[in-house]
Amino acid sequence: MTVSDTAWKPAASPPAPVSAKSPRNRTNKSARSRRWRNFVWVLPAVLLLGVFAYLPLVQNLGFSFLKWDIYSGRQTFVGADNYVRMLNDPIFWKSLLNNTLYAIISIAFQVFGAIILAAMIEGLRSQRWRGILRAVYFVPSAISLTVAGLLFYFIYEPEMGILNAALDVLGLGNFTQAWLGQENTAIFAIIAMSQWQGFGYCTLLFSVALQRIPSELYEAASIDGVGPLQRFFSISLPLVREMTGLMMIVTVSGAFQVFNEVMVMTSGGPNNSSQVLGTWLYRSGFVRNDFGYAAAVATAVFIITLVLAVIQLRISKKRRVQW
Amino acid sequence: MMRKSTQSLMALLAAAALALTGCSDGGSQPAAALDPNAEPQYTGTLSILTKFGGDPLEPYFEDLAAEYKKLHPEVSFELIQETDQSIKDKTKTLTASQAMPDIYFTWAGSWANNFIDGGLAADLTPIIAPGTEWGNDFGESALKAFAKDGKYFAVPLYNNGKFMGYNQRIFKELGLTPPSTFDELISSCSVLKGAGYEPISFGNKDGWPGLHYLQQLFAYEVPADTLQADFSPATAKLEDRGYLKAMDQFTRLVNECTGSGKDSNGVLYTTAQQALAEGKSGMYYQEILEFDSTASADSKLKQDGLGIFKLPAAADAKGDTQAIEGSPEGYIINARSKNAALAADFMKFVTNSQNAAKLSAPPYGQPSAVKGAVSTENSSGPVIEGIKQVNEASAAITWLDSVTVPAVADAWLAGGEALVAGTQTPDQVLASVRAASSAAK
Repeated sequence: MTVSDTAWKPAASPPAPVSAKSPRNRTNKSARSRRWRNFVWVLPAVLLLGVFAYLPLVQNLGFSFLKWDIYSGRQTFVGADNYVRMLNDPIFWKSLLNNTLYAIISIAFQVFGAIILAAMIEGLRSQRWRGILRAVYFVPSAISLTVAGLLFYFIYEPEMGILNAALDVLGLGNFTQAWLGQENTAIFAIIAMSQWQGFGYCTLLFSVALQRIPSELYEAASIDGVGPLQRFFSISLPLVREMTGLMMIVTVSGAFQVFNEVMVMTSGGPNNSSQVLGTWLYRSGFVRNDFGYAAAVATAVFIITLVLAVIQLRISKKRRVQW
Repeated sequence: MMRKSTQSLMALLAAAALALTGCSDGGSQPAAALDPNAEPQYTGTLSILTKFGGDPLEPYFEDLAAEYKKLHPEVSFELIQETDQSIKDKTKTLTASQAMPDIYFTWAGSWANNFIDGGLAADLTPIIAPGTEWGNDFGESALKAFAKDGKYFAVPLYNNGKFMGYNQRIFKELGLTPPSTFDELISSCSVLKGAGYEPISFGNKDGWPGLHYLQQLFAYEVPADTLQADFSPATAKLEDRGYLKAMDQFTRLVNECTGSGKDSNGVLYTTAQQALAEGKSGMYYQEILEFDSTASADSKLKQDGLGIFKLPAAADAKGDTQAIEGSPEGYIINARSKNAALAADFMKFVTNSQNAAKLSAPPYGQPSAVKGAVSTENSSGPVIEGIKQVNEASAAITWLDSVTVPAVADAWLAGGEALVAGTQTPDQVLASVRAASSAAK
């Protein structure tokens, strides 16, 4: 309970000398010691985060201004040269385009596709079927990206892969090709694998979000004669806005940090056609020995993902749902 | 306008970033020569980075380490075994973090020179140069592959070369003989195709198999001096018409001789190797190091017989038609190793006649660089024949991806993939390589 300004106050009297053991002093001391205790408790986490997350970020920024010969250890300051080169590098832009494609397709499948699928699953009457389908769709997410990449490499293999074999069986032999070996299909083949891998996980999260919506809302809508499609657009979609925002952040950030599947399936080839920012920075550093340039690309990835995350966080803040 | 506080923060961040990277002028110094009289202290741990990861090579160094430990119980080993593909990343990671082991694998050419120039390779001249006791065990050309400015920097472990391997039964069945010109090779492809075989199996998913074809064809079509000058960005012009002719030949070979044709970028090289091993293809372009694994004891190829011939040159080739692509591969002793004398002693043990013979025999099939190690007693026929041809060649042309600087090699790799897929012409590929070479000056 707060005391208002108009509350009774005792007449002013000279302040009593504060003894070391006065209650107010003890309170201040205990507050200070509590603050110190709290600080000590969080210190290990802060230190770990600082040393393993933020320090490398700052170091990477420093490397991006250098020409670094890893063999001799010679580091020469070259100012913004690496950034200028990066902006004039067609492979960098190709990589950025591929990441953007990744993001757009991932949003379509892993956000909007997953909402629709989750709504369909949650709309089923049978509890058992709901559980089975959730599990079925989630299984691919439990497979590591590297394993999934290898698995799909063999699915796409032009001579022995089951995709081309299936197309042949279906009488679509004209469409068979080296999905990972052609410049115009490689990146899309990788993106398709990623959607297969991530789709179930997003569906599961949306299922959870949908389950949190009070059933009374749906019951009331049904009584008013509202059909399933309208219920989806009027109730489900608006009330999972927060999850949608979160999934957008995760999906887009993930799309700009993609590395494993590209590395396993094509290493960015053929002819750099499936290069993404992650593989291009790796190739610049570990294949071309151009570590300063690789650090500049890494900085670009960091800035892009940071900006996207901030924008999306701001948007999703405005769309907070309460009921 | 940027606020003052933001400006200050950014300036502080940039300064901190540069301070943290420890921007330095480097510590590259010419490595001191190893003292030939230094007595090894048989204690401590030797760390070794090998390229023998996976089957069937992995046990080789494991067994040798165990045997050496029996002789010197106080010595222990830390083996880091990588594959042909993964060793590149591993080596660079260890180099960048200044954690190179006592002994580490190297290719010849630009790859080895990086370590030599960076002061990471011990100067082995006093103990391994031609004329020294240990040096006399090796062929001089193998030692020279790792020499720079008259000094010797690596222990050559085995020789290597690239040959067209063919199925002798299929060739005999179809009345074919190893072709002696490029046109004959193309003609034999149609015969094989007509009989239902894949003429040449080819998998270019990793890009380097295509580079191997290109490098051998460049050696045939580009005059030797020009080719050597073009490997180095400082002297490269990359204007010889021979490059375009060689790329045309490569494209023709891919389109007319391989089963996968333009799709070859989607095929693993091991799939292509398997096709020859199973008798599905007539030919497969391979390294000597692959002979014994392609024609392994239980393979169909072993029954049918593996024959080899050099990739044939065009009749009007203007380069060195007697050159062969290949180079020895070896091991460097880290100049900063505290166990350099012990490392040298261990490498002497690795290259003694008994262990050299073991390396040259199946299942390893790595033709040792030690004189006399490859013989009918321990090595398969194709390995012996391959080494004989390498020794007789006018020159050994180092792999394209290790003879030139990485940026240029990478441009060739992308160009090779584009040639396979048919998305770039030889002119366009050469232009992109020229640009990469100019940028690397």
